Amino acid sequence: MPEAGRPRETRLAQRLPLPVLMLLAWLVPGLGHLLLGRRLRAAVFCAVILVGFVVGLVLDGELMLPHAGDPLSYLAAIANIGNGVLFFVARHFDLGQGAVTAPGYEFGNTFLLTAGMMNLLLVLDTHDIAVGKKDW
Amino acid sequence: MTLDHLTLMGLDALLIAVFFSFLWKRTRRERWHHFWKVFAALLLGAVALGWLMYPFPRG
Repeated sequence: MPEAGRPRETRLAQRLPLPVLMLLAWLVPGLGHLLLGRRLRAAVFCAVILVGFVVGLVLDGELMLPHAGDPLSYLAAIANIGNGVLFFVARHFDLGQGAVTAPGYEFGNTFLLTAGMMNLLLVLDTHDIAVGKKDW
Repeated sequence: MTLDHLTLMGLDALLIAVFFSFLWKRTRRERWHHFWKVFAALLLGAVALGWLMYPFPRG
């Protein structure tokens, strides 16, 4: 069953330039879909990413930043920064430092990276909806 | 928080399956089907991969 009725793009979304809409979609998980009138999906996406991110932090995962000489850390950093404002808030409060010796460290990293990559996919989905490539 | 590997893997599979069901599928029926397919594939695939790696020694 499609989401109730035809999705109604908010006035704000109609006025915002596409890059700004994508920036907002990245900063706050689900916000892009919310502005485009996809309320149900916005709520689900926000919840999924939030749960993944919080579980990752609780499991002592690390919000990685790039380390010189470690190419994979750049990819991990991109995925982690993909979490948008969650990443910056957590870093601000010194969360996500990561304890390598913690039993949940690797699992925590997996949850944090997964949440970030899912949010990046949402940015692309927001773009597709906004330009009309996806009509639902 | 300490949870066993299977539970954590199940939670991760659950989140991913819900996410892609809502991202890629439009109707409730399609989402439901897609959810179970992705969830089962991730969970059973990981268990199967674990069994396949069992003969290989560590280290």
